Amino acid sequence: MRGIQLLLTVIVLGAWEVLGRAGVIDEFFFPLPSDIFQTVWVWVSSGFVFPHLWVTMQEAILAFLVGAAVGLIFGFILARVRFLERLMDPFLQMFNALPRVVLAPIFLLWFGLGIWSKVAFGFTLVFFIVFFNTLEGVKSVDRVLVDNARMLGASEKQLLRHVFIPSALTWIFSSLHISVGFAITGAVVGEYLGASGGMGYAIAQAQGVFDTKGVFAGMFILMIVVLIIDLLVNRLERHLLRWRPVRSS
Amino acid sequence: MPAAQPATSGYAVELTGCTKQFPTSSGETYFAVRDIDLKVEPGRFVSIVGPTGSGKSTILNMAAGLLTPSVGEVKSFGEPVTGVNRRASYMFQQDALLPWKTVIDNVSLGLTMAGVSKAEAHSESRRWLEKVGLKNFADRYPHQLSGGMRKRTAIAQAWIVNPDILLMDEPFSALDVQTRQIMENELLQLWQESGKAVVFITHDLDEAIALSDEVLILGAGPGSTVVGSYQIDIPRPRDLLDIRDDPRFVALHREIWGRLKVEVSKTYESAMAEEGEAA
Ligand SMILES: Nc1ncnc2c1ncn2[C@@H]1O[C@H](COP(=O)(O)OP(=O)(O)OP(=O)(O)O)[C@@H](O)[C@H]1O
Ligand SMILES: [Mg+2]
Repeated sequence: MRGIQLLLTVIVLGAWEVLGRAGVIDEFFFPLPSDIFQTVWVWVSSGFVFPHLWVTMQEAILAFLVGAAVGLIFGFILARVRFLERLMDPFLQMFNALPRVVLAPIFLLWFGLGIWSKVAFGFTLVFFIVFFNTLEGVKSVDRVLVDNARMLGASEKQLLRHVFIPSALTWIFSSLHISVGFAITGAVVGEYLGASGGMGYAIAQAQGVFDTKGVFAGMFILMIVVLIIDLLVNRLERHLLRWRPVRSS
Repeated sequence: MPAAQPATSGYAVELTGCTKQFPTSSGETYFAVRDIDLKVEPGRFVSIVGPTGSGKSTILNMAAGLLTPSVGEVKSFGEPVTGVNRRASYMFQQDALLPWKTVIDNVSLGLTMAGVSKAEAHSESRRWLEKVGLKNFADRYPHQLSGGMRKRTAIAQAWIVNPDILLMDEPFSALDVQTRQIMENELLQLWQESGKAVVFITHDLDEAIALSDEVLILGAGPGSTVVGSYQIDIPRPRDLLDIRDDPRFVALHREIWGRLKVEVSKTYESAMAEEGEAA
């Protein structure tokens, strides 16, 4: 499988390169893969990219941590207190229905060009995903597991620890995968709209001088970073969900 | 722990005039059980037999404090049951082990949640796992066990907290006949001289008579109620492998089945009638 995948990559990139050199593909809009990697190498070896990456990571990590924490807490509380869920439901639906990108300009005005406007923006993306998944995860816990734990003397806190959290974990993890991506998306989009540093800013700068190679190089670096982070989330997931039967597929 | 509670007084389980109704999706109310009286003395083994849907689990849930009766009163050792019944353990009809805990952690759960140290809880759990023949499976997860092993784990989990009452909802109905007989034997051995009250639910009249001091027959639903109560005076200890040839067993079986048959066929007929209406 790995072999075929590698072969496919080589074929696609090779065709792109050849067609670009032959002039079939416009090099301005689709710079040659070799040129993109060249740019990536320059950005990395000169150290140019690292301060930008660091800014983006800071924003993404803060947005992710705060968004996930608040989403988890809200999710657990609303799932356990029916009254609150019914009370908050229309408001949450309203905010969730709002296309989040329209918030970016207003956050820029409220929180300025620095990292906090991006953190706030990323937060609105991460929060809802984690919140809704946690809510659903806790509500879909098998009734008989809860009853059994209660009969064995579980307090509300022990129910949370021994039953609800582990049971909701599969849902929470599926939301973590998406929200890690969204935290970074939030940071980059925010930077793109106005910032003084970060990967989104670097890409916007390259675009400003029609440096498409720079745009592609920025995309490539972001892609690699997200892949690495996702890999780490996978590791954690495998460890925490090790009790699950291995699916044969 | 339940056992540490004050001296016992009155019935271990006492349901008086208990009726439970559920709202249906069409906005009406459905009477699951009506006017249930159930009295179980400490140390007695009482079985409830009835056709499917007659409200057996509902009765057990009321005794456990997981459901509150719409009308009527539930008491345990003289105290009204509010919230879950702290003196009782419950073996559910479905699998109720926590899938993310190993066998030993599942068995320890009741102790650790009561504040017993993990080391102490584990050594007690090991004793129980040995008793139910699972000492080599302590570190497995539930999905790595067979159905019978899961039931054994559930027994250990329920007994380790040393409850005064055991509520068992068709604990063995998912097992094959051989495993089932072995489990019934093990259950009787554990129960003998444990002084615990057992409320045991089953579809299987043979099982009910073989195990119990008393068998209650529940009528066909909806709004079913206790239609018969039979004292099982077969002497103990009983040999479950041969008990079905015991003349007393045969006589009791004939008598009780005569009554149960009526209710079972009522349930069957009303199911057929409903199907006829739908068609
Ligand atoms: N939460 C509920 N809401 C509505 N109806 C319910 C609920 N729980 C039980 N019922 C109804 O009450 C009746 C009795 O249910 P119960 O589970 O007590 O039956 P049972 O005797 O245990 O059946 P079985 O032998 O199949 O386990 C059934 O008709 C069921 O549909
Ligand atoms: Mg039932």
